[in-house]
Amino acid sequence: MRIAFPHMGNACIPLRALVEELGAEAVVPERPNAETLRRGIRHAPEFVCLPFKVTLGDCLNALDQGADTLAMVCGMWACRFGNYGRLQHLILRDLGYRFRSLLIGREDMKAALEVFVAGLGRRFYARIPGALAIFRAKASAVEEIERWARWMRPRDTRPGRADEEMSRYLGLLDEAGSVRGVWELRRRFREEAGSLPAGEEEVLRVKLVGELYVLLEPALNFDLVGRLGRQWRVEARPVLSTYRWLLGPLWLDPRIQLSGWRARRRARPYLPYVLGGEEHMTLSGVLNAPGEGCDGVIHAYPLTCMPENICRTIIPGLAEGARLPYLDLCFDEHTSEAGVETRLEAFVDLMRARREKRALRKDKSRTSPPARFSGASTAPPVSVAACSGGGRGA
Amino acid sequence: MRKRIGVPRALMFYKYYPFIKGFLEGCGCQVVASPPTDLDILEEGTRSCVDDICVAVKVYFGHVRFLVDKVDAILVPRLVSVERRRHDTFTCPKLIAAPDMLRFLPGGLPPVLEWVVDLRRAPWWWGCLRVARRLGATPCQAWEAYRRARRDQERYERLLGAGMLPEDALAVMENGGNPSQGGEGPGGEGPREGFPLAGGERVTVGVVGHPYLVGDRLLNKDLFHWLSRGGARCLPGTAVPAWQMERELGSLPELSWSYERELLATASAFLGRGDVDGVIYLTSFGCGPDSMVMEMFKREVLKGRDKPFMEIVLDEHSAEAGVRTRAEAFVDMLRYRSGRRGGGRRV
Repeated sequence: MRIAFPHMGNACIPLRALVEELGAEAVVPERPNAETLRRGIRHAPEFVCLPFKVTLGDCLNALDQGADTLAMVCGMWACRFGNYGRLQHLILRDLGYRFRSLLIGREDMKAALEVFVAGLGRRFYARIPGALAIFRAKASAVEEIERWARWMRPRDTRPGRADEEMSRYLGLLDEAGSVRGVWELRRRFREEAGSLPAGEEEVLRVKLVGELYVLLEPALNFDLVGRLGRQWRVEARPVLSTYRWLLGPLWLDPRIQLSGWRARRRARPYLPYVLGGEEHMTLSGVLNAPGEGCDGVIHAYPLTCMPENICRTIIPGLAEGARLPYLDLCFDEHTSEAGVETRLEAFVDLMRARREKRALRKDKSRTSPPARFSGASTAPPVSVAACSGGGRGA
Repeated sequence: MRKRIGVPRALMFYKYYPFIKGFLEGCGCQVVASPPTDLDILEEGTRSCVDDICVAVKVYFGHVRFLVDKVDAILVPRLVSVERRRHDTFTCPKLIAAPDMLRFLPGGLPPVLEWVVDLRRAPWWWGCLRVARRLGATPCQAWEAYRRARRDQERYERLLGAGMLPEDALAVMENGGNPSQGGEGPGGEGPREGFPLAGGERVTVGVVGHPYLVGDRLLNKDLFHWLSRGGARCLPGTAVPAWQMERELGSLPELSWSYERELLATASAFLGRGDVDGVIYLTSFGCGPDSMVMEMFKREVLKGRDKPFMEIVLDEHSAEAGVRTRAEAFVDMLRYRSGRRGGGRRV
């Protein structure tokens, strides 16, 4: 049984460990690139969202590498993501590929288990606890390394070192074969990474909100997080992470449920109903940004994404009320690197100028009013051009 | 003084207006519906809404902007779930979040009356009761209004079932029996009959699409008019009888979007009917559910059926000439086919 799954950031490291520990062989396609996207676009519906196209390309790559089972999450949600697996497998079968579908969802868990049993035999049940243990260990290690890299990049004394260290440790993590090995690696990582020198200069902080896949897949967002850190010394704080996405539905970490519940409560005045995406994380991220000392918000989403488009009608009002600069970046297959870079550069300049102005004001011992939400009813009419840095559309 | 409640003529207006009107009037309010979409409304909506959302939502924003200074409150339906099934069902996220999207509308808003329909949690009547309470009507009044509204809605659905377009059916409801007067081409009772042409061939086109595209003449660029000018008899999707829908729904894949599933069943029913020569599917650019459902339709339902099918994608830049050309070409093709088969129905 050769199981393949689409890429999303560094999710392939824990997922591969999970699959291999269950007794199957994991087929990891190459990292998404222009060719992957091109293959996906050729066979995907015209205006479906971008993650669909990329993951379809991933599936094609994996099938060419000899995968015989394709895994995907599915569900009955209002967001399109719930139907990804079914439609992608339909398209792939029409193309003549033969494979088993492993659609994992709350509605039909039995079918997914049957696929496992058919491929691995009944003994696979006994392996689940061990597989989940190493899955969780690797996922949290990935999270720790990524978080460190996000913090370190803007403070690096030698540009590029944080990225080198991150990819070195992620490589080691991928090779670690047991939970004990992972813990050993994490201990070593903490020692060595902690001893690296960090610069003293002040860095800007920006909150990253938006659609999960665009936020977490560096190939799709032109390495937004890394670029902000390396190029402009901005510390990015995404509201979502691979760890959160992988472990949340499995209830392996109650902190995830707790933060999700708090985010829903925070966003409820503006969006009382569930839309199936990460809309609550987006809105609560914007609402919490001023309190966390962030200088701005970047909202990244794929073209025609339904939950994030709805957020986009709400965010200008929130950002205006909080006097918070925000930039929306819409990604599709035609988005160019130069366009994104120009807008990011202008946005970073804007944030830096604001911070310098505030520091100047503080010097004159005139305290500025704290950034706080004045509430929806008193928010002035929205003028997007004033606060978005001209980032309309892709 | 009676409160004036505004109802924007967009999105699910074309599906539920008689119900909404009957209910609000029963609660002692005056109902102000915005006029049919015109270019000003479309432009206003495009300006006040985000740029990459579907055109139906932009038009909705335009209608709300039109009503802002003319009414005391605006009724905004929040359709979360419109059927009860084994699993969760939803409508499009944009319908679920319609009141939230309007919250920061440039230029401000009068009070918004939210009409929540969430059949997963509470029956239809519960949402109505909440609206009535906000309007200051007693539960007894609300019940009377509800029954009246149901009667109106059933009558409206019967008219739609007879093959009328939403616009004509609403006109019949308003004028007590008279279909819309005036206007050269459109109008007329029952399914719009095509103009008999020299060849004498008459073909039937089934048109499937969301009610806000089928019902809005500006958005669909008068597709029905051009089809009947070309000599086709148009059958909107609402004309498929309930028993046939049930049968089709049973054979379709499970979906979480109720309205899209309905459209799929309609299209599938048209494909299976002998008296329909071709099917047109209207969709708006960037429509989330449709982008997936269309693909499923093409790959699961359409495959192996020998019936012409055309998809028309509409947005705020669609031009009448484009729709007209395609409609005429489609009808010509149907007529050619039916002539060649020799089985074309003669008039």
